[in-house]
Amino acid sequence: MIHVFQYHDDYYVYDTGSGSLHIADERTAKYLGGEPVCLTDEELAEIAALKAEGLLDAPETDARPIKREEIKALCLHICHDCNLRCKYCFADEGAYHAAREMMSFETAKAAIDFLLEKSGKRKVLEVDFFGGEPLMNLNVVKRTVYYAKEEAAKRGKRFLFTTTTNGLLLDDETIRFFNEEMENVVLSLDGRKEVHDEVRKTVNGKGSFDAVIEKIKKFVRARGDKHYYVRGTFTAKNLDFSKDVLFLADQGFDSLSVEPVVTEIPDLEIKEEHLPVIEQEYDALCDAYIEREKEGKGFNFFHFNVDLEGGPCLEKRVSACGAGNEYFSVVPSGDIYPCHQFAGDPKWKMGNVFEGTLDPAIRGKFANSCLFTREKCKDCFAKFICSGGCSANNYHFNGDIEKPYEITCAMMKKRVECAMRVLAARKSKEI
Amino acid sequence: MIKTIAKPREKKITGCGECRSTCQSACKTSCTVGNQSCERITREQKIDGQK
Repeated sequence: MIHVFQYHDDYYVYDTGSGSLHIADERTAKYLGGEPVCLTDEELAEIAALKAEGLLDAPETDARPIKREEIKALCLHICHDCNLRCKYCFADEGAYHAAREMMSFETAKAAIDFLLEKSGKRKVLEVDFFGGEPLMNLNVVKRTVYYAKEEAAKRGKRFLFTTTTNGLLLDDETIRFFNEEMENVVLSLDGRKEVHDEVRKTVNGKGSFDAVIEKIKKFVRARGDKHYYVRGTFTAKNLDFSKDVLFLADQGFDSLSVEPVVTEIPDLEIKEEHLPVIEQEYDALCDAYIEREKEGKGFNFFHFNVDLEGGPCLEKRVSACGAGNEYFSVVPSGDIYPCHQFAGDPKWKMGNVFEGTLDPAIRGKFANSCLFTREKCKDCFAKFICSGGCSANNYHFNGDIEKPYEITCAMMKKRVECAMRVLAARKSKEI
Repeated sequence: MIKTIAKPREKKITGCGECRSTCQSACKTSCTVGNQSCERITREQKIDGQK
């Protein structure tokens, strides 16, 4: 499949089969896009040469995901409580529609044992400390990290740990611990103060921006070259979210991700009617992103990266997100769910870490799900980059993990085009 | 005129399974594999770089 898109006077040609990206003049791009253009013999020869090289109109892979029994990652809901009351929280402000509770060390330890036992020959395992707010249960986070490292070493394995936090409880000791033990830290901050404070409230109903900004800045200064993301959420109330991304970059944060909200709260929900504005906003952000990079003030925006040269193998690209098959969430009771977005829904409970079991029917459903079982993905140019999207979003909005949520798809496609523009700008030596 | 900007170094269907789960590291609402690199290659490059 050939996907042609235009931005200003530039034309881009992406070949899904080969994964190649080309730039073209208007005539060639329109011809490849199916428009009735009479090309010269020389122009046709260029196209024929690329086709002969397998870089245009190449056949698409039909490789199927390899069936694996081994598990590679767990998301530990270390705390089903939160010290913030964010309006858009999918996790019911930390409680996941149940009692507010902390994960005990015994449960976390059983989860680590479960992961180690089910990880087969896999050497590198991942554990994500998630909530609620994990720092409200920091002692269990620390004990779990030390236990996991000790047990992994005995088996010749190692763990990569990630924590997602709102930053409210960050202090010097926690920063030191994170920098020593966390491979990645995700810090929630939505952008401009008024945007952040509108939705990210303290328990007392006040905005939380002033309470977290300096702590997050201090953390990032101490982080050095280790991975982190300052991660924001945009809603229908800040469709001009490019300003929030640039605001965050101006604060000195150079690794950013700002995501569309997933909610059905009426005044926050992203709706189809918002898409044209959002797409323009991504384009504006992309322009500024390229400009800043040219000026030597570049930063990393998660969605504007696409690795077409060395990225993941084709098997990974068709395997969907891995939730419910090689990656699971564990809640404080020890119950297992396909991922954090399914947590608390009894229909999706898969087992319990103390019993060491996984529901074969639910696991089979996720294991069999891949790019090729998602009918709507078949004709999408972004399929080998998106990998079929988020199963949980698909289920929550369309009632089926196999039915992609169209609004998310539209935004994904726009971001992929922007990422290709960034790549083309870099490769063209414009940057 | 058409000019190639990027093409895969090799067309790989390796499936070694050593890559990270997609939704773990950077965000919790949007899954994408396109901005990942091959974990095995990245790790081996790091090891080479440290030598």
